[in-house]
Parts: sequence; C-alpha cells; structure tokens
Amino acid sequence: MTKPRKNISFCLLLATVVACSGLFSCNQERQPCLVPKTASLNIECVHFAADTATTTIDTALPNAIFGALTNGGLKSVVYTTASALFTISLSPLADSCSWLVLTDSTYSTPPDTLNFYYTRQLQFLSNACGYTYFYTLSSATTTHNHIDSVLITNPSVTNNVNTTRQLEIFIHPNY
Amino acid sequence: MSTRQDNLKYLFTRIISIFLLLLVWGTIRAQVAADTTAAPDTVAAPHKEIGSRQLVFSADIVNPIRNMLTTSQTGYEFGMDYYTHGELYLVAEGGWGDSKVAYNDLNYTTKNQFLRFGFNKILLPRENATDWGGLFMGLRLGGANITRTAASYSVIDSVWGNSSGALSGKSFNAFWMEITAGVRVELVKGLLAGWNLRGKFLLNGKSFNDLSPLYIAGYGRGDKNAVFDFNFYLSYAIRWKRNEKATEPKK
Repeated sequence: MTKPRKNISFCLLLATVVACSGLFSCNQERQPCLVPKTASLNIECVHFAADTATTTIDTALPNAIFGALTNGGLKSVVYTTASALFTISLSPLADSCSWLVLTDSTYSTPPDTLNFYYTRQLQFLSNACGYTYFYTLSSATTTHNHIDSVLITNPSVTNNVNTTRQLEIFIHPNY
Repeated sequence: MSTRQDNLKYLFTRIISIFLLLLVWGTIRAQVAADTTAAPDTVAAPHKEIGSRQLVFSADIVNPIRNMLTTSQTGYEFGMDYYTHGELYLVAEGGWGDSKVAYNDLNYTTKNQFLRFGFNKILLPRENATDWGGLFMGLRLGGANITRTAASYSVIDSVWGNSSGALSGKSFNAFWMEITAGVRVELVKGLLAGWNLRGKFLLNGKSFNDLSPLYIAGYGRGDKNAVFDFNFYLSYAIRWKRNEKATEPKK
C-alpha cells in the first residue's frame, strides 16, 4: 500500500475503533415494546338520524361505564366525559366473553349486556413484547335496555392502532 | 404490528437492498471499467497481476467483547479470503453462537451455526506487490441452521387474567444477504487488521415468525428483517508466488 493510502486507512481504522468502543459499553437489556400488547376492540355508538334514515350519526354517551364480567368479578371502566368511541378487550381465556354497558351512570336503569363470540389466534409480536392473542369475531349479541342492536363492521381484532371500529352499537331511539 | 405495516416494511427493505446491490455492482463495474479502458488510443500492454497469491485467515474480536458484556447471547466469527485477480477476493466466513431468553413472559434458548460466502472488491487498485490493504466493498450470502428449545410464554392481561402455554422445540434455517464495506491494513508483514460494516437483509424471516430468535449468530436480531453489524478482524496472511504468466487485458 502506498504511503498516502496507508495513512488514510490507518486513520479510518483508528477512528472506527474509537467510535465503536462506545457501542459495546452497556449490557443488553430487553428492548422496549413499542406496540400495544393487547388487541383492542373499538366500538362506536351510533343512532339513526330519523326513523326513516339510512345513515347514522354518533351518539355521545355522557357518563358511560363498561364492565368486563371476568372470573374474578366485574372490572369496570368509567368514562367521565361524553364519548361515542370506546375501546374494550376480549378475554384470552375463552372463546366468548361478556361486557356490561351502562350508557349513563347517573341513571338508575339496568345495564345492557354485550356478549362476544370469537376465535383466538396466538400471535408472536416480538421478543421485546412477547405473545398476545388476536381475535376474529364470529357474532355479538346484546340485551335491549338502551341498546337497540349491535353490528360487527370488522371482525378482525388486533393490536393495530390504525384499525377503525370493529363494532357499532345502535342506541335505542328512545334514549 | 399490522400486516400492512409489515408488508410495507418488507417492501422497503427489499427496495433498499436492491438499491444497495445495484450501488455495489455499479461501483465494481465502474472500477473494472476504469481499470480496463485507460489510454484507449494506445495498444494496451499485456496485463500482469501484481504480487503473489494470498490466503488470509481472520478472527473477529468484536463478538468475544460482546460476549463478555452481555448475558443473553454469545457468538464467534471467523473468516478466510483468497485473492483471485483484479482486486477480487473470494470470502468464506463461519461461526456459531447461542442466545438465552429468560423474561417473565417468555423463555427459550437457541443455538446456531452459520456460513457466509461472497466476495470483496478492493476499491482502489493495488500499486505494488506488497500492497495488500485498502478499502473494499463486498457481497455475502449467509445461511444459519438454528435449533430452538421448547419455549414457554405467558400472555399478560390485566383485565381478564394471564394465560400461558408452550411451543415445542424445532430446527429451522435462516438465509440472508449482506452488503459489506470496510478497511484492512497490514500492521506487520503477514499480520492484518481491519473492520467491516455490514447491512444484512433477512430473506426468509416470515418462515419462522411464530417465534423469531432473539439472536442469530452471524446475522443479529432474528425478529428484524434488516440489521446492521460491525466486525473487527485480526488476520494472518499466507502468501506464495503467483505463476508469472501474463494475461491479455479485458476489453
């Protein structure tokens, strides 16, 4: 190697060794998990604008409570601000689960019960996040205190944060 | 992560890898063209390869340092290259390693051996018989045989409760392509040192995404379709005289 080339190469070699010495200065820990670890079922509450209408508009529930009926009892999520969009999860322990829905917690009316039937798929996210379950909704049923009906608009329940709603809840016209 | 995002990432890494491939190929072609098209008005003299034959044995010292600093993985890499002609070196590399995942929701270990084959092209032509260093770029095709033990996992769910399960152990292969660039210098006669930067692109990551290994020796993180890596080699060269037969230059 000629002298200028040799000098350039030596400089590059030294610079790299110095630069890379910091690269290995820490012990490798588990990488942070950067995606949601739980699959979300996105719900939108709607109602028909009029009896004869075919289009729907959002129904904001003022003080809604969603409660999961788990083996360990009722686990509730209280929404303190009015919203038409809610996110719940499905049980990874069985192929069906139930949620209680109280459209307005200030009313002393009985809640509605949503029943979900689905199939589970075990999904490896990454070594940083581990495993989770994705779901494919088969059907959903409801009682009719304040809810008129439910409609599955997208049966795929994953951890994709960009997924639009999977379920529409049609609120009773008298609500 | 969504399938659409995965597909986009997959497509993006493929486009980048093809672009880099073309870049390397273009550089090599340009270098060869520059070597062979000089002084077009004159009759080219018969080309005579400078220097002797060379076979180099290399040991990577980055991985042993990494092994000391981490508890979850070990890896060892060795290589050899042979100078053919026209600043082209045929390269074979190999090694082995293992990884251990012992998280509260995921447990398994893997072991693997790997081989890589390819070439390095010195970017600046040699000027005399003792000139054995320089900047280089190269391509590799790598493969690893991976053995994974049975894996246990837990799905943590704060609402419904945790669930757990196990996957049986299995063996599978990983294949990847590498683009590498680096520098090698001769410290004393026959003893060389140099580094490689490597961009690696997994070719069959989807075939083992039921549980991608934390670490594949020779590649890196098994749950990434594209990774960058760094090696620092200490090498020993064996040289012997080339048959002094002049060859016609390429046109």
